Amino acid sequence: MKSYLKLTNFEIDRFFKIYLVLIAITVTVQIIGTIIVANDYMNRASRIMNEESLQTSAFIHNYGYFSLLNLMDSLWFFGPIAFCVAGLIFYTFFIWYRDWYGKNTFIYRLLMLPTSRLNVFFAKATAIFLMVLGLIALQLVLLYIEELIVELIVPLEFIQFTSIPQIMNAINSAYVVLFPKTFIEFILIYGTGLIAVFTLFTAILLERSYRWKGVLMGAGYCIVASGIFLSPVLISELSGNYYLYIGEIIILEVALGCIIIASSIWLSRFLLNKKITV
Amino acid sequence: MIEVHNIIKKFGRKQVLKGVNFTAKKGEITCLIGINGVGKTTIMNAIMALTPINKGSIQIDGKAIKKDTFDRITFIPDAITVLPHMTIEESMQFMRDYYKSWNDQRALELLSFFKLNPDEKIASLSKGNTAKVNLLLGLALDVDYVLMDEPFSGIDMFSREQIANVFTSHLIEDRGVIITTHEINDIEHLIDKVILLDDGVVIKQFNTEEMREVEGKSVVDVMREVYQS
Repeated sequence: MKSYLKLTNFEIDRFFKIYLVLIAITVTVQIIGTIIVANDYMNRASRIMNEESLQTSAFIHNYGYFSLLNLMDSLWFFGPIAFCVAGLIFYTFFIWYRDWYGKNTFIYRLLMLPTSRLNVFFAKATAIFLMVLGLIALQLVLLYIEELIVELIVPLEFIQFTSIPQIMNAINSAYVVLFPKTFIEFILIYGTGLIAVFTLFTAILLERSYRWKGVLMGAGYCIVASGIFLSPVLISELSGNYYLYIGEIIILEVALGCIIIASSIWLSRFLLNKKITV
Repeated sequence: MIEVHNIIKKFGRKQVLKGVNFTAKKGEITCLIGINGVGKTTIMNAIMALTPINKGSIQIDGKAIKKDTFDRITFIPDAITVLPHMTIEESMQFMRDYYKSWNDQRALELLSFFKLNPDEKIASLSKGNTAKVNLLLGLALDVDYVLMDEPFSGIDMFSREQIANVFTSHLIEDRGVIITTHEINDIEHLIDKVILLDDGVVIKQFNTEEMREVEGKSVVDVMREVYQS
């Protein structure tokens, strides 16, 4: 356990500079975006109110209030989020491959540590998971800051005040992945993320163990794991027979997710102990 | 004792090791010799469970390698095994964090023996000093066995001499050492046992002292005989 915690801390330290860059990009772009989107709204409001000789209330009636949802529909908001998602997906691969390549063969050291090799696997997975949660927390804090910035630029009578939970209720489905509305949704969405990380890690270890053959085995493992995980939904959709209630499908998904996580851990342990090649 | 029994290793269709057998005892320096590509590094990796073997077995003091074994055996590969942005001190701290067998006193002794600056970053070290840090990180562990892969490879004469001096010091005493090297001249007089490899098999193994006393031949003489015949 001590080694696992130390390794997790070590992995986070290694990623921290890149992580700070992701945070800086997200904060900078979203705050600049907030200022631009809010100013655009006010410029448009002034122009239309002048051209059409409208009172504030009439403008709002015809053209609507300003709310944070205006910002969330813009590239300024989802651009940096997409960038962070891409960065983390890239890092899921990089976290392993950087230890094999380059001048310093750190994988030798990791595999020769007097601790279970599975700790290395768990430490890398935990580091990625904590970074994802960190970025989500940052985004929630940023929403409050962006709301304050909006209030500085847009007069209060133009703003439709919505609490963060209300915003989370109104956002489109793509953002539901980032901001689950309930604890069950959180478990399901981030549980699925964890399954994806474990499955990808197993695929990477298959490649590192069997090289070219391993690429096919890894791709096959990902396809099979995805197929098994999605099977309750796929079977219902493809057959057109909706025998199961949503609650039953969720229970099935949780059970299948646990099976995939367990088999990924078992296979990764086997590969790390018996098949891995430096 | 490290026992390597009939190990076979294939890379794709190519069989690199075709049934290698040897033993290396504690307190002895065993040298694996062979031309490039003969499988010396593969043997080292296989002993440390860093590459799987297709057949055969490897035992350390009668047991297969497992996680605790890494506190009793250390491998010093020809590339450094810590991160380039670390300083020497941070590398030592990393080792101290994970290895129960880490010996601080011995680490400091090695630091001064090699005249290394602990604040220097690994990335800025010369090849010779990188090899010395690698050696320091391996030898500062209180382990029974030390495996070294080409410790003299590509480094200057003075660094080679300094590293060779380690073999005559108490830093190696009582440990079982397996070393692969081409630079046999630097340590020929220190080697206890030689294993000559060719085409994936052990073609000759002998005790150097016996060879000198009985047949009057040095290691280099035997190598010439075997590889040039």
